[in-house]
Amino acid sequence: MKKRPAWLASLITWPIVLLIAFPLLWMLITSVKPAAELFSTSPTLLPKAITFEHYARVLQDTPFLQYFANSMILATSTTVVVISISVLGAYSLVRFAYPGRETLASLVLFTYLLPSVVLISPLYLMLVSIGLANTLASLVIAYTSFALPYALWLLRSFMAGIPQDLESAAMVDGASRMGAFIDVVLPQALPGIISTALFTFILAWNEYLYALVLVNSDEARPLTTGVMTMLISAFNIEWSLLMAASVLMSVPLIIIFAGFQRHLTSGFGAGGVKG
Amino acid sequence: MGDLMEPGRPPVLSPISRRTALGVLAGAGAALSGCGGSDNRTTLRWWSPQAAPDQLKSYKARIAAFEAANPGIRVVFEPTSDEGYPAQFAAAFAAKQLPNIVTHLPSFAAQNYYAEGLLEPVDDVINAIGATQFLDGTNDIYRTADNRHCALAIGNTAVDMLWYRKDVLQAAGIAAPPKTWDELRLACQKLQKPGLYGAALPYGMNAMTSLIFIGFIHRAGGQIFTPDLAVAIDSQPTYDALEYYRSMREFCPAGASNFSWGESLTAFVSGATATGIYGGRVLANVAAQNPAIADAISCTVYPTMSAANPAWTFNDFPCLMIPKGAPHLAETKAFAAALYQPEFYIQQLHAAPGHVLPVLKSVPADPRYQANTLIARYPAEIDLMTRTAATGHNLGQETAGHRPNLKANEIIASNAIAELVQRVVLNNEAPKPAVAATAKRLAELMRA
Amino acid sequence: MLDAMSRERRDALLGLLLIAPTVLVLGAVIVYPLLSAIALSFQSVYTPTLEGHWVGLANYRELLGSGGFWAALLTTAIWTAGTLTLQIVIGVAMALLLHQNILFRSLARSLVLFPYFLSTVVAVLVWRWLFNDLYGIVNHGLMAAGIIDAPVNWLGAMPNAMFSIMVVGAWKFFPFVVIAVLARLQTIPESLYEAARIDGAGPISRFFDVTLPQLREVLTIVILLRTVWDFKEFDLIYLMTGGGPVNGTRTLPLIVYQQAFGLNQMGMAAAYAVSMMLVMLVFMLAYLQRARKAAA
Repeated sequence: MKKRPAWLASLITWPIVLLIAFPLLWMLITSVKPAAELFSTSPTLLPKAITFEHYARVLQDTPFLQYFANSMILATSTTVVVISISVLGAYSLVRFAYPGRETLASLVLFTYLLPSVVLISPLYLMLVSIGLANTLASLVIAYTSFALPYALWLLRSFMAGIPQDLESAAMVDGASRMGAFIDVVLPQALPGIISTALFTFILAWNEYLYALVLVNSDEARPLTTGVMTMLISAFNIEWSLLMAASVLMSVPLIIIFAGFQRHLTSGFGAGGVKG
Repeated sequence: MGDLMEPGRPPVLSPISRRTALGVLAGAGAALSGCGGSDNRTTLRWWSPQAAPDQLKSYKARIAAFEAANPGIRVVFEPTSDEGYPAQFAAAFAAKQLPNIVTHLPSFAAQNYYAEGLLEPVDDVINAIGATQFLDGTNDIYRTADNRHCALAIGNTAVDMLWYRKDVLQAAGIAAPPKTWDELRLACQKLQKPGLYGAALPYGMNAMTSLIFIGFIHRAGGQIFTPDLAVAIDSQPTYDALEYYRSMREFCPAGASNFSWGESLTAFVSGATATGIYGGRVLANVAAQNPAIADAISCTVYPTMSAANPAWTFNDFPCLMIPKGAPHLAETKAFAAALYQPEFYIQQLHAAPGHVLPVLKSVPADPRYQANTLIARYPAEIDLMTRTAATGHNLGQETAGHRPNLKANEIIASNAIAELVQRVVLNNEAPKPAVAATAKRLAELMRA
Repeated sequence: MLDAMSRERRDALLGLLLIAPTVLVLGAVIVYPLLSAIALSFQSVYTPTLEGHWVGLANYRELLGSGGFWAALLTTAIWTAGTLTLQIVIGVAMALLLHQNILFRSLARSLVLFPYFLSTVVAVLVWRWLFNDLYGIVNHGLMAAGIIDAPVNWLGAMPNAMFSIMVVGAWKFFPFVVIAVLARLQTIPESLYEAARIDGAGPISRFFDVTLPQLREVLTIVILLRTVWDFKEFDLIYLMTGGGPVNGTRTLPLIVYQQAFGLNQMGMAAAYAVSMMLVMLVFMLAYLQRARKAAA
């Protein structure tokens, strides 16, 4: 493992990262500017005055915290459900042989090909008929069905890259199929699982159209629709509040993901296969 | 799955202990199934796309007072969105999950839904408030073929007033705001210089361009449809309007070809243009975002092609409608009427001062209404907008003599008119074939 | 021999069991709406009431003969190809860089992910602001640097508008490629690089001979997924340009949405959607077949 920091790579990478994250920086700066500085025709990067009134208003005058909690629950539940189901499914596609395996995999992807706009009404009708209208559960169900196809295929490709030697060795040692799966395959597939989990979390965090249609009550409303419908209307956009709300929506995620990055580092997978 | 939870096996996600995971799942389960405190009260659901924090406050006040006076009723406000409401409504109607009361959608949405049998007539509510309490003619646009009212006005907006900078005009030697198109163009020519544009007209592929341009056609003496709703766009006024709109392109910022409401508003508010075309939102935005020019702004009715052409102002007529099939009709109507109680109605208006204008006769002179900084500061502008909006029109009913156009929503959504503007102005296409194609498209849309 | 057979059968059954939840969920949730949508495409349906009547192939005939469909298909293809190329190239490059042991690596990886988890609505509003010719910082920055002398109309003129949405699309979605590739890079055994180094291979040939082949499996999937998603992308383009100027960026998903909720023609929307699906299906099948041949 490289212990020496890669100076050259850092020098190349960080400017690019800052360029990519520039809009976040800009959002941050705008959110602490007083409204009078918003649209100056000679835009300045640094604000002339700093104020936190927009954050105060978002947190106190709007149900932002409720929406935030809803989004957290929604995204976490969806991720847990999707990962559980797709990890098993991917393992099945990669290590087992049964008739119709490839067709099944392709059919799963096939559900992706129809634009979601035309699926909304029938899906909503279905959810109403089973009594789940206006609940977070309906969103979890909808988002799970969006995430499963790619989770399955992505995890399948990660697991396919794991050589079979260790599993076979474990099974020769007397472990069951599922035992080998848990002790050998899962740890090596962890980077793939983590990244799939990240994507699923983000999908559930950001989905707008379905949240708009399936959930109308504030108790179950997630951040996307909550913040957007409140702060953006045809004739008026509450810019400062929107920037503050967007920063509040983004920064916690950055912190969480920075924490999970540790599991994406090498050492988990590479060490397992020697010679 | 059982294998994963077997004791003795190391859990897959080591940082999370099993106990906390189960705890979280239990809590999530409760939240997911939507069980909160259950209520025996009658619940009324109120939808509106106007849900900015200030407006929310005024709604909450009204709801609290109503609930206190009617202990058996609970009102829940649910924001919807100007962009997304068609999808929400389609799903709600199809699944019979209807809100009880919907406010602040444009009049042509109401006409459209009523024609499909989706709305309750609101004559009871109008009568409960008192039909004569409303500004004259303000509810006419909601009259239906069967002589009922599909909705009633909850506010007016004079959407396309000419906003101008008194200081800039004066500095260029222009004494009075322009009244005709030539005067406006001349003024823009005189005052345009690097860093200052003349106008902020939209040329984007969006609803604003369509709506604004319809106004221009009317101000040239034309119309999109005849009173009997035959397509009338292929006529001289349309060509005049196109010619004028094209000639104004050079006085608008380069980005105007992608302007929508937000950009056009901000162009004027930020001081980049000398004139703007907008509703009363300008006042609040200038006060918050560019207070330096607050004393220099004013508005007037938008210039017409010549002195002979009457003024025509666009009012989307935000309305109150009651979906058919929602439960608790009597309570709903009671709440609807309660929204107009002056004390609370004025609070709602104050949440968007100048932009949502009163529809009740008694309000403009009411000292409680006047007790708002913006309204007190710009009395002439507010008064003008209030009067102008009350006599305003939109594609749903282009003049008082027109039959209601139930396809107005679809026509705007099709971008047919915005496309006409873009083809002629941006692509320099010949007007005659473009207008003919647009007329054909409109005829198709009316037939569909 | 009996033992071997029943072990095989037991194995196959376990395999089916493991994939059963996936099939069940998708079957229960998506299959009915999917079939509904296909059925809707043969009807003329008024969206708010979902009431309609059968029209057979009339929607498809109108769609194929309209010209609007073909123009939009071309636009969608151009948009997809352009933004996908940027996403893959920049994505792989960033993944390679972030694989190195750079300073504050965790923070860098999170920041790179930021465009992907910013809500599209907010992202577009921010970019429209940045691109604005009056008060946007992109034009001001470029003018200050002397690269341009007048503000550029990034969104209201062609081909600027197409390039702008491609770039914003790449910015928004390339982190997906970065993270997927990065995860795969972590599991490439160090021994392969060692062996290559011992054979005297420099960094470039190490990339082409060791890294790229190992990435092939993941890249195949990532390209397939991103192609489908970019093809279907609605929010970004609709909010950024509305399909303008003059339909220059009008992709098929915009038409589907307009038909469904603007013109209230759910049947026609479904016909467009099914046509989109068929195009993507042909691509997907051809692509997967080629990928399978290449892997063999």
